[in-house]
Amino acid sequence: MNEELIKKPVEELAPLIKNREVSSLELTKAVIDHAESLNEKVNAYVSFRRDEAEKEAEQADREIASGQYKGMYHGIPMAVKDNIYLKDEVTTMSSKIHGEFVSDYDATVITKMRDAGIVFTGKLNMHEYAWGITNNSPHFGAVRNPWNLDKIPGGSSGGSGAGVAADMTTATLGTDTAGSIRIPSSSCGIVGLKPTFGRVSKYGVFPLAWSLDHVGPMTKTVKDAAGLLEVIAGYDSNDPTSVNVPTEPYTSKLTGEVKGLRIGIYEEYYFKNVDSVVEDQVRKAIKTLEEMGAEVVTVNIPALQYAEYAELVTSLSEASTIHHRNLIKRPDDFGDDIRLLFEMGELFSSVEYLQAQQLRRQLKQDFRSAFEKVDVLLAPTLPVMPPDIGSDFADLNGKQVDLIDNFIRFMGPCNLAGLPAMTVPCGLNNGMPVGLQIIGPAFSESVILNTGFAFEQTNPLQGKRAGLTSSVS
Amino acid sequence: MTVSIREKLEGKGLTVNSEHLPLLQARWDAIQDLKARIDSANLDDADISLVNIPGGDHIE
Repeated sequence: MNEELIKKPVEELAPLIKNREVSSLELTKAVIDHAESLNEKVNAYVSFRRDEAEKEAEQADREIASGQYKGMYHGIPMAVKDNIYLKDEVTTMSSKIHGEFVSDYDATVITKMRDAGIVFTGKLNMHEYAWGITNNSPHFGAVRNPWNLDKIPGGSSGGSGAGVAADMTTATLGTDTAGSIRIPSSSCGIVGLKPTFGRVSKYGVFPLAWSLDHVGPMTKTVKDAAGLLEVIAGYDSNDPTSVNVPTEPYTSKLTGEVKGLRIGIYEEYYFKNVDSVVEDQVRKAIKTLEEMGAEVVTVNIPALQYAEYAELVTSLSEASTIHHRNLIKRPDDFGDDIRLLFEMGELFSSVEYLQAQQLRRQLKQDFRSAFEKVDVLLAPTLPVMPPDIGSDFADLNGKQVDLIDNFIRFMGPCNLAGLPAMTVPCGLNNGMPVGLQIIGPAFSESVILNTGFAFEQTNPLQGKRAGLTSSVS
Repeated sequence: MTVSIREKLEGKGLTVNSEHLPLLQARWDAIQDLKARIDSANLDDADISLVNIPGGDHIE
């Protein structure tokens, strides 16, 4: 019973909890039992909060019993990435330096999730300070991909990706500065949505790069992502980057209808230097949507040729500014990989940083022109498949290529331009999932969610799952 | 005068890990290759790269 229960997405669990066929406490205990049992293998959690979660679940059950059902996420157990602050609890950023950091306030997204009745089961492992894509932490150990325990889960929200894929958390939140929601979601075969910049508050979320950071849902299904976005979206005066644009009822916009949808393809960037197995799966997905009534249109976004440089200068400079003092005082307390990135970020001049911002403006203008012709852009999420843990290289049509460069190549443009982008699983290659990236104009989350929802109805993974089972269920 | 990566970092008060230097140099060279591409970019004076919101963080 519990084995089947914990596999279910929120969209299936919500009516069971609402109708009191399953209690939040029963579900919460089942998820924590399962997660504790698997954590030695997967290493998705850095900490559990069983006692607190059971109290929160009992509270949710009392509220529901008294007719105060709050919505789809009421009573749903969930862990969050360990760079999101829970008041009076340790948030480590998977780092040594912040290993005992305690915030005296909740992040705004946590406040919103508490208000929605979500139960917090623990904190999820991540790449140290979110500055990497392997989740091979010198302080908290490597997170393993539930589809193949020898492979990386992607990062930096690797504990989040692995946790959802292995049913160790029912859904979760990730953060994305250069793909850290979409990379692990694609690598772990789940749905990951990076919303428009400013759509979700970052107040109480430890920054990596102020002008590129986003918080968003990582879930089993598109409807779960839409529901979680409804919970966390909205203006927050505490976040200087928050934007006061009305939110939408995202779940009720999921019609699955894509007839007449204009899909943009930019071959010169998003289909160049892509591993052939990934390309085949993504082109098949585009064909499927075309057969469902969408129209495919070729677009041109010339400023994308500058995106990789602008992303690197911006992210490296901002991240090094945040950690500058500790880099002087405690350099040996950083993992080697991120210390090197912080050192690199110290090398840019202010002129180089500001030129990168000028390029960024051009990129936004080019995307805007493209979105006058199309409703969404489709692309591979990652051009290569996740490698083995410990490797700094990926295989691209038989050649070994730099892992970081290739994992962030299709990610950075949407962080630079602040555009919403989502990955949905579109197929399998040697038992590992491949992701389709759906990009839209600013604040078009409803459109990209509906495009993903329509595609999801075609059952692209044919019901296949990561397949890890616990010893307790 | 050419300033090395080590000198640049030490000039900012950082302790340089000598083992990092070859990889740091390789990655820095790769970024310089990318930078060469922006020479073709038409950076307009009117491409305002930073904005200043009067009075605070948001216009309420």
